[in-house]
Amino acid sequence: MTANPSAPAVNRYFGAPVTRNEDPALLTGQALFVDDLVLTEMWHAALLRSPHAHARIESIDVTAARARDGVIAVYTAEDLGDFWQSVPLVVPPPPIPDLVFNKHTQVPLAKDKVRYAGEPVVLVVAESRYVAEDALDDIVVDYATLPVAADLERAAADGAPEVHDGLAGNVAALAHQAKGDYAAAAAEAATVIRRRFTYDHGMAQPMETRGVAAQFDRKTRRLTVWATTQAPASLRGGLAALLGLGERDVRVVAPFVGGGFGSKLLMYYPEELLMPWAALQLGSAVKWIEDRGEHFLATTQARGQIHDAEMALDRDGRILGIKDVFLHDNGAYNPYGLTVPINSQCSILGTYDVPAYDSTFTAVFTNKPIVAPYRGAGRQHGVFVIERLMDIAARELGLDRAEIRRRNLIAADAFPVKHEIIFQDFTALTYDSGNYQPILERALELIGYEKFVAEEQPALRAAGRRVGVGIVNYIEGTGIGPYEGARVQIQANGRVAVATGIGTQGQGHFTSFAQIAADWLGVGVRDVDVTTGDTDQFYWGAGTFASRGAVVAGNAVNHAAAAVHEKAVALAAEHFGCEVAEVVLEDGAARRAGAPGEEIGLGELASLANPMRGAVKPGTEPGLEATRYFGPESGTTASGAHAMIVEVDPETMMIEIKKYVVVHDCGTVINPLLVEGQIHGGVAQGIGNAFYEQLVFDDDAQLLNATLADYLIPTSLDVPRMQLDHTVTPSAHNELGIKGVGEAGALPVGPLFAQALEDALELPARGVDILEIPLSPNRLWELATDASDGAPEGG
Amino acid sequence: MLKALLTVSTRVNGRDYKRVVEPRLLLSDFLRHELALTGTHVGCEHGVCGACTVLIDGLPMRSCLMFAPQVEGREVKTVEGLADGDKLHPLQQAFRDAHGLQCGFCTPGILMTLTAFLEDHPTPDEAEIREALSGNLCRCTGYQHIVDAVLIATGAATGAATGTSNGARDGVEQD
Amino acid sequence: MELNGEQRIAAPRQKVWDALNDPRVLKACIPGCESLTQDGDSAFDAIVQAKVGPVRAKFTGRVELTDIRPPESYRISGEGKAGPAGVAKGSADVSLVEDGDGTVLNYVVKADVGGKLAQIGSRLVQSTANKYAADFFARFGDIVTSAVPIEAPAEAPTPAGAVATRAVTPVAQPAAADDANTAHLRRLNWALLAIIVVLIGFILAAH
Repeated sequence: MTANPSAPAVNRYFGAPVTRNEDPALLTGQALFVDDLVLTEMWHAALLRSPHAHARIESIDVTAARARDGVIAVYTAEDLGDFWQSVPLVVPPPPIPDLVFNKHTQVPLAKDKVRYAGEPVVLVVAESRYVAEDALDDIVVDYATLPVAADLERAAADGAPEVHDGLAGNVAALAHQAKGDYAAAAAEAATVIRRRFTYDHGMAQPMETRGVAAQFDRKTRRLTVWATTQAPASLRGGLAALLGLGERDVRVVAPFVGGGFGSKLLMYYPEELLMPWAALQLGSAVKWIEDRGEHFLATTQARGQIHDAEMALDRDGRILGIKDVFLHDNGAYNPYGLTVPINSQCSILGTYDVPAYDSTFTAVFTNKPIVAPYRGAGRQHGVFVIERLMDIAARELGLDRAEIRRRNLIAADAFPVKHEIIFQDFTALTYDSGNYQPILERALELIGYEKFVAEEQPALRAAGRRVGVGIVNYIEGTGIGPYEGARVQIQANGRVAVATGIGTQGQGHFTSFAQIAADWLGVGVRDVDVTTGDTDQFYWGAGTFASRGAVVAGNAVNHAAAAVHEKAVALAAEHFGCEVAEVVLEDGAARRAGAPGEEIGLGELASLANPMRGAVKPGTEPGLEATRYFGPESGTTASGAHAMIVEVDPETMMIEIKKYVVVHDCGTVINPLLVEGQIHGGVAQGIGNAFYEQLVFDDDAQLLNATLADYLIPTSLDVPRMQLDHTVTPSAHNELGIKGVGEAGALPVGPLFAQALEDALELPARGVDILEIPLSPNRLWELATDASDGAPEGG
Repeated sequence: MLKALLTVSTRVNGRDYKRVVEPRLLLSDFLRHELALTGTHVGCEHGVCGACTVLIDGLPMRSCLMFAPQVEGREVKTVEGLADGDKLHPLQQAFRDAHGLQCGFCTPGILMTLTAFLEDHPTPDEAEIREALSGNLCRCTGYQHIVDAVLIATGAATGAATGTSNGARDGVEQD
Repeated sequence: MELNGEQRIAAPRQKVWDALNDPRVLKACIPGCESLTQDGDSAFDAIVQAKVGPVRAKFTGRVELTDIRPPESYRISGEGKAGPAGVAKGSADVSLVEDGDGTVLNYVVKADVGGKLAQIGSRLVQSTANKYAADFFARFGDIVTSAVPIEAPAEAPTPAGAVATRAVTPVAQPAAADDANTAHLRRLNWALLAIIVVLIGFILAAH
């Protein structure tokens, strides 16, 4: 009687490039984003933020602000009373042996001390955003500035200013993981490559800034919070606990959200706590939306790491081991635990067979905004290190850089590969499945690698053109637990309702999950209404991050839809008086096979399942509805290769990407249109990271380029047309075989640029390695000039 | 501080409005909060991202860099004025067909920029399209499917011809 | 941000020095200076309205004078707040060198900005600083070398306390010298000179 839960009878939608359910609302400007909300008795909030990166607060005078016409309330840390506290740790550290971890999380409003420029100090609530911002001008805060821990290396050194009093050396965490015996590997190596790499990563900068609207209904005593959050269920739980409310009295809704990429994860952001708290105090509604300038200071960032890495190889270019010691810029607080640096640590192994690995990182507090995941969440730092080491090793051993990669790829029959070190999901890092060789070969084929290197490049160089080619691999750990859930229900009107606990920021969940349910229930994909991110609609969940939405929530939808299929078929069989095997669901109805005319609309069937009178058999659940949860035993590993041909103008050092190829493997694909979109978007962010974007701080940890005019997000002229291809190596950890793909595009672009631009400018032959990201025309100029001067060391 | 209020009479999407506002009220806030036309989005408030683009007397302008009184007596067109009831404008339909939007936040600004652009350039090639788009930032799509959408809308390409690896561009559901 | 420069002024050093110490001259040369009030022996509070790029702000600053070596050089340091626009701090080392019958005024200014000024204005700080410096010295040069005497040789200095708000008109005074007044005014003058340069630094830094 039980159908195979992983496959409905007919796959009409699964795997097809279905256009999206959510598009008409978005295209016509009807979709609701947080700032669109209009609530009764809605006030508007603004925050006064510290202009200093490190200072003691001597006094705060809000008298004038409180007296301003149109101001409803002004709150400082003192006014928060017992609510004021360091927020809970959102991601506790994984159980790494001998881990040093010092928890210092942020507070809703600074009291006594500010630790980064932009830290919120005073909350103003007023009749309009304009009046609230006027009132900020009325507030006088007396600061006594303190020495600033701005630079990563200096912050970790002796005598550095202490971001948190008493914590010398600003150590947020110190973690050592190892497998095999690196010392022995290095001793027997034919060559050991050693370099210092610096990798800087910028900010997610979604087009919609963060916002929170909170409403406390005095009559129902319920708090509703609309937020641009990627983790509504987690936020609901946290808010209820912190505000002393029952969980069922708090509803969190993430409506349409204009991009997240990690920046809208649960931190707890001060504003996520303050607006609900203020709504409770005032018994009304309070709305806050960032402007972009504020976003640069108030929202989490990715930033830099410095790696002292070495790789030991035998004379055939086979890796014997890798050792890496790195510093990670954590920012002023660490609510996200070790997530980012541990992703870096685990990504250095890449697609290669690395018998011995020894990795140590120190996460360092600095007087800068919090560092938290941003698309890749530290993986790209690791990918840069391994791919650069490969390129440098190739050169030293006289090997082609595609060839050295071939020689080291993990063999197709080696899976699952257990690495013995711990990943961000607290389990031992395991690559569940993979097939890397065809991906590399296909990328080389599509970019025309051999012909380019042998014929085209020499000819172009002879004509004075600076052209280069790059080829890099990556792995991406995705689809981690703990779990997600989904409820599928056939409604009395025949439409199918699906609800899940994750949120959506553009990934197309309203369509991909509808595809799964539609196939199981024989309805049109347009007849499935998916709700995400509303804790009243679905109570439990973790959130959208780590490329896990389709993997974890998708599989939950699959299980739930399969269960509803089973119920519907059983009920219809009873209704028709036939065997279950004779019933098919198609075109919105249940039909008896071979008996035309014997059919019942799904809506009517659903009504039958919910009788208002009579008796039912014991154990019957009403309705055609099922809720199922899915929690993978561990994350799944996606992979891919990028290749690029680029030309550099020798005078301006501006680049033109001539050709860009991505071959990726994210396991089973639900909707190829959506997957393409994720790759394109990821690569675009990778290009920004590699060549255009950089947060520039001065020695006082002041951010100097806090506008989009100065922080350069790639435009349509900077992102090339890409050619995509993919292979399918299903995941072993879920029935649908899905691996995530959300972050993949962003991961390998840094090392790809370094390799291809080095090649274009023929830097290595002149003694210069590119050892850093981001690059820029200025930086290329400097490096090329160093090369002309015969400078022996790398960038 | 200037307390005097001003009356603004303007026509938006063919409908006349008259409101009394502070002179410093940004046009973007006027449209979104005075007129409840929240389709126009605010991405940066400093004129770089283009999400707030609307048409003023047919010209694409950044509404975050204008004050409400500046549209006194002018015709404004926002994204809400593109569709014909339930029927998507051909450009909007092409965006759907090409998956030219993900989170959709930048989309209204891009649609308005393109609406003006295509009036003057009905058959642009890819380079011209990218140039026209270069004043609108999108963080989700990487622009490729947006370019595809314009090529489809202008008849320069059918779905299959836009060069994606798996060919099939036409969604299974067309509506 | 660092800003240094020099300006040759076609006037003798003493005259330049005196002019630089004359609060009436200073106020005339610093655009937007609303008030200069002494606070203690070598400190001053100043309020200047300034505009840097998109940011218009009222700067309240406090200036102190150190390393005084009259009539050659001194250091002025200060901090200023511009409310929501941010903060600025800086110092200037100023020296006067005789050059024939003229004087070369040399300045080295170091300034740091924080808050909005840094976030959106940092690119503009240097160029605005240069512009303001040029404007200041253009005006100053005009005043010092103009036919209008700032201070007649036998004239007593203006009484202490009468600063900043008086128009630049010579006042006929009894020729009696008043040592206490002179000394006090000399301190005032140096301090004011210091203020000017630091305020320039602020304004520029503010931009």
